[in-house]
Order: sequence, then C-alpha cells, then structure tokens
Amino acid sequence: MKYQIVIAGIGGQGAVFLVKVLSIASAIKNQKCLGTENHGMSQRGGSVSCYVKIGDFYAPAIDEGQADLLIALEGNEALRNIQYLSKEKGVIVMNAPKNFPKVDFETHSIDAFKKAKANEFPIDALNVYMLGVTLALDPHFPFTCKEIEEAIRLMNAKVADKNIVVLHQGIDDAKDNK
Amino acid sequence: MKQILMGNEAIALGLIHAGVDMVSGYPGTPSSEILGNFQKFRDKNKLEAYAQWATNEKVGFEVAYAGAISGKRTCATMKQVGLNVASDPLMSASYIGLKGAMLLISCDDPGFYSSQTEQDSRSFAKFARIPVLDPSTPQEAYDMVKLGVELSHEFESIVMLRPVMRVSHAREICEVDDGLHVKANEGDFERNIPRWGAVPPAGRFRQGLEQIDRLEAIKAWNWDHLIKPKTHALKGENVLCLTSGTGDGYVREALSELDIHADVLKLDMPYPLPKEKLEALFVNYDKVIVFEESFPCIEEQLSSPKLYGKLTKHVHVIDEFSKDKVLSAFANAGVIAPSHAYKSEKYDLELPKRPPNMCPGCPHRDVHYAITKVFKKKKSIYTSDIGCYTLGLNQAAIDTILCMGASISMASGFSISDPDKTVIATIGDSTFMHSGVAPLINAVYQNHKFILVILDNSTTAMTGRQTTPERTNPHQIDIKRIVEGCGVSCHEYVYEQDLNKTVDFMKSLQEMYKTATAPVVAVVREFCVLDKENATGRLGNVVVEVDEDKCVACDSCITNYKCPPMHYNDAGKMEIDPFLCAGCGSCLDVICPTDAFVKKEEK
Ligand code: SF4
Ligand code: SF4
Repeated sequence: MKYQIVIAGIGGQGAVFLVKVLSIASAIKNQKCLGTENHGMSQRGGSVSCYVKIGDFYAPAIDEGQADLLIALEGNEALRNIQYLSKEKGVIVMNAPKNFPKVDFETHSIDAFKKAKANEFPIDALNVYMLGVTLALDPHFPFTCKEIEEAIRLMNAKVADKNIVVLHQGIDDAKDNK
Repeated sequence: MKQILMGNEAIALGLIHAGVDMVSGYPGTPSSEILGNFQKFRDKNKLEAYAQWATNEKVGFEVAYAGAISGKRTCATMKQVGLNVASDPLMSASYIGLKGAMLLISCDDPGFYSSQTEQDSRSFAKFARIPVLDPSTPQEAYDMVKLGVELSHEFESIVMLRPVMRVSHAREICEVDDGLHVKANEGDFERNIPRWGAVPPAGRFRQGLEQIDRLEAIKAWNWDHLIKPKTHALKGENVLCLTSGTGDGYVREALSELDIHADVLKLDMPYPLPKEKLEALFVNYDKVIVFEESFPCIEEQLSSPKLYGKLTKHVHVIDEFSKDKVLSAFANAGVIAPSHAYKSEKYDLELPKRPPNMCPGCPHRDVHYAITKVFKKKKSIYTSDIGCYTLGLNQAAIDTILCMGASISMASGFSISDPDKTVIATIGDSTFMHSGVAPLINAVYQNHKFILVILDNSTTAMTGRQTTPERTNPHQIDIKRIVEGCGVSCHEYVYEQDLNKTVDFMKSLQEMYKTATAPVVAVVREFCVLDKENATGRLGNVVVEVDEDKCVACDSCITNYKCPPMHYNDAGKMEIDPFLCAGCGSCLDVICPTDAFVKKEEK
C-alpha cells in the first residue's frame, strides 16, 4: 500500500495531533509510516503543513503532485497546498464556507467554523472533527473508524472519550451534508 | 520492540540505550526536543542521569566534554547556528580527544525553516576533523546514536551526529532495543597535564599529529564497516549516485517511482571519506552524481572528471532537497531528458498571507508597539535578537537581527556610528543569559548610550518553552541583579494588558535617556501565553469586536500592532477572528485612531 496525506492548517489547530493519530493507526494496521511536521516560526496563527506517508517510503517530505489526500483545517490553507495533490487521484477534505472557490479536484467541504460558532462542537477539537469528516467522505481513506478510535485511545486515554464523540459528530455531520 | 517515534525522540532513546548519562545543550529548532525527551525517558525509567539546559551552546559543550574526559559517556545538543557558538571549544577538543565518549548532536535546517542561515554542520566536522554520521530517518538516527557513541569511545574522538529538520521532526515506526540494561557510568578524572592542559605549541603539535592518525584510522573503518559492505549491492549501472542523509530518500523514491536506472551508494559517515577507495569505484561508471544536503561536503573530498554535484552546478546549491531537484540534477548531468514529474500548479490567486507572527495576547507585541510609538522611526534604530520577539519584524519594530546577543553589541556600535539617533535594543531573558551579559559589560565599561529592554517571559518560548536559569533558580539568578552587577541600574516594569501603561513606561525610559551617560536598561516582567503555569490568571477574558461604522480601514492596527485575529472582511472593514483572539483586550486602547475596537462582553 502507498498512501500520502497532507494536513494543512493554522498554528494552534492541532495538525500535529493528527499526524500522531495517523501514525499510530498505521502501526495498528501493520503498515510502515513516515511523517513530518513543518512548524513554521510562529506558534499560533501561522500556516502549518504536515505530511504522512503510509507504505514503503524513504523520504519524509511529500513532493508536488503526489498526495492522495489533503485534509485542510481551514479553506485557504487547502488552496495554499493544492500543488501537493496528485492530478489523477487527489481528494480534498476541508473546512470552508459554502461559497468557497471551486478547484479541479474531488472536493468535500464542510463549514466547521459555522458549526463551532453555533456551539455544536468545541473548536479545540476541530482536528478530530475534520478527521471524522474525512472518514465519512473519502472513499479511499486507508483507515477504518475502529482503527482511528483505537489510535485516539492509545494516544491519550484521558481525553479519548471526548474526542471520539467529536469524531462521530464529524462523521454524522458529513453524511447529513452530502 | 517497535515504537512510533519522532526523530528527536528516537535520538533521545538512542542516547539512553547507548549508555549516555550526561547531556547538556541549548535549545534551537530543530534540535530542541532531544534533551527534553531524554529527561522524560530518564524519569520514566528512573535512571540516574544528568540532563540540563546550559546557558549557551559553548557552555553546554564544555560541560559534556569535561564529563567525557573523565571517562563518562556524554552528549551535547544544539542546532547548526548554535554550533557556531560552541565552535571554540570544539576546535581544541578535537585535537585533544577524550577518554569516555562524547556525541555532539548538531541539527541542520536545510530550507531555512527556522534559522538565519542554512549551514552544514558536516562542514564543521570536516573543519574540526571529527567524524560525522548523517542519518536519513528516525530509525537511522536511533541506530547512529548508538554507533556514534561506540566510535567515539573506540577512537577517543568526539563524534558528530548531524540530523536535518526532516529527520528530527519526522515520525516513523522504529525498531528499538527492548528494556533497559543501562547503568550509570562512573567518571574519574585522571590528572594528565600534558594531555588535558597542553599549552601550544609543543603539546598541541603532537596532538595535531595524533589527530591526523586518528582520522586515517577512522577513514579505514568507514570503508571496512560502512561503505564496502554496501558495494556488493551495486548493480553495475552507468550512473552512480552518492547520497548522504535525507538526500538518499529522495533519490531512492524518485528512481523507483520513475523507473530510472542508477546505482545508489549511501555514505553514512560523509566525513572522513576513504577518498582513494571510493574513487576506485568510479572506473565502472560514466557519471557519478552527489546528492547531499546542504553544502558539498562529500563532493569536496573527492575529485574526478566524472563527478557531478553542487560544485559543478549540476545540483541545486541552496534550499532543502525534493524529488523534483533530484530529477533536475539527473537532467543537468545529461542522464535523463528534463522532466516535470514532480511539478504541479499552485493556486495562483491571492491568499491571505500568514507570515510568522507572535501569538495573540503575547506581551512582546505590546512592548514593540510601545517602542515604535514612543521612539519615532526616523530618529531611532531598533536592534533586536533571536527569539519570539524577532517576529516584531511584522510590526516594523526591528531594524537588525544578526545572532544571539548581537542586539546589545550592535546597539553599542550604532551609538558610536550614528549618535543622533536613539538606539533601542530588545532581547529576551534566555538570549540575555546566553550571550547578552558580555556585551552589556562592554557597553557599561565604555559608556555607550542606548536603551536596552530585556523582555523577560521566564522561558525559552520560541523553541518550545524550555526552562531558563532564572526560572529554575529564581532566588539566585535574577536579571535585575545581573544588570546591576554589570554596573547600571535596572528599571523594572511588570507587564499589564493595558497598552497605555506599557507606552507610559517607554516614555519614562525616554526621559531617563535624555540625561543618561551610560546604557539605560529595563526589564519587562512578562509571561508567555502558552506557558500555562505562568500565564494563568494573567490572560484576558474579554471578547473584542470592531465597530464597522467607526473602522475607516486605515491599516493602522494591522501594520503597527498586527495581532493574528485581525483581518479585513468582505465589507472591507477590520474584523476579529473569535477563534484566534486570546481576549487580552490590549487592542482596545491606543492602536486605533478612530477607537473602532470595542469590548463586546466578558468571556
Ligand atoms: S510562544 Fe509565547 S513568547 Fe512566543 S509569541 Fe507565543 S506567547 Fe509570545
Ligand atoms: S483582544 Fe485584541 S490584541 Fe488581544 S488577542 Fe484579541 S485581537 Fe489580539
């Protein structure tokens, strides 16, 4: 198996958390996994992008035109990283408002900020929420809901229950949204 | 046993499994998590080991080196620019050698993600004549830590490990040792004045010769143990790729994905190289291309008309590697036709810029704002230093950044070269301890007149909030008393979120400056918003809004204050992103000429 994911967002949204969850999930699946985090100089509010490469890879970074999936915790960060997606099979899952610019890839979007503003889920769990949306909408996503849940538990058992609730909320909202 | 590890965690675990029980260093991205993780593993396994941040890299190196010459297994950690600071002891230590073992870890940052310069620590290893290991993944970093410690012990030489950011911050499922069979190693310094205390030239001359012999022996070892075993796998293609570190991964992926035929020989120890033996391999090839990050370290040690690399301008000379750059190199060397297999179009319409910026609610922003407000741009020079406050660049509140501590020495220089302007230097607490004290003494001793503002948030914030000397021992070490010890008084201001008060404090410094004959020094006692222990209770709780009717889109807030939540909305008016706003309320006063910022409610 070979599957490459770019996770894009803004500092403070928890992109790195997702890298950890996905690498634990890969281990659960008995797959090789190489990932990297690109912290910019800013701790909060700057662009952040991370890579996860599942399968037989040797270089931690993802090159342009290679990624199977782009998970964007914020719409503009999706656009900023769009060149990493593979022309043939690239899929975008992003948090963006309805009137967002159209791009040439299979795109699934949800307005998570709007839902958070309406207190439908806590904003600090945006990352897990978007992972739920991904589980629901990307047909090629290499992990099952069970594997992700297990990874979340292994990562931090104390807050796992709360996170799993948000994960399912993401899954349900994404299905309703379809 | 398999574990998912980030490169720096793998390195820390490797140190423990290699029997290292003394680690000293100074934080610097991408190296910072090594020492912290070592502490974590140590505490988890209840090991007895020393692991502490030093005031700077030179000090960190010297602490670890003393441990090593007493026979212990030690390690010093830093980033590439930190190695510049530690280069002084390194050069001598490499002559003298050691008895136990010492691994010097210097992390590089190809692509300048968080550094002033790109630099290649391997060049420093070459300059200092010590062997260097260049891992390409977290797994290799783990293995090479253990190897490096063994080699150091065997050859009585410091060994460098040089991971790059893509190794330090990569994550991989690694195979690591089971359990722990580590026991603390005893140090016992044996007096040997001709060796440890040798004074040039006689003693050092002999040590210099010994160093050359040692290098020859390491070269032979490099060939026998690291390179020769790999030559059996060479398939006799027309092109040979010599790789090192991360360069290897990019080459291997590009070759297999695009079905390009070439042999790949990875050099785990890029210095010192067994030149003749390697060159003898070239006979079988038409072309030999060197893929290494960042400087031509391997290439510089070899010579052959078949050699293609950075020196011959066939491989890129700056910035981090990518598979696209691998293909360009192949094309430049005439091996393949130019290819764009790894190029894709970017989104070309405008996107909101997110340059590195200080966190919402960070006190540094207020200090920079107050400085530019009180000391007018035309009549001032703002020197600054390395740390979060460097990002005051966004507020146009900084004119110069050079290296750790230079804000103060450069302020001295400007006070002489351009005396009509007021120089205001800013420096953080950790940087002040690192290399600000010596230039302050210099300034007091020569009566240089400028203003120095020490921004004390009691942590090394930018690299992940490592503890500082003052934080650990506040009663013994205090910036105010250090400044006084240098011979000047230290004016203190305890930060409050009311921006007016910070501005007033700057005005008071301006008054003092008028009659001063020496540096005017102040310390602002702050906090870092990410530092839970210190920031709790000091962070704000207001929800701020912009009154659209009052906002005239004058850019004033966004250019002079630039808090990340501030942006223009579709109506062309300023808006605050509620998810980014820290609720500090600093923006309520002063920064808007039409008073458009208003308090909406308490959080
Ligand atoms: S990490 Fe701390 S010091 Fe650095 S910008 Fe954020 S709040 Fe300020
Ligand atoms: S209250 Fe104002 S200054 Fe404070 S974080 Fe929010 S926008 Fe920034």
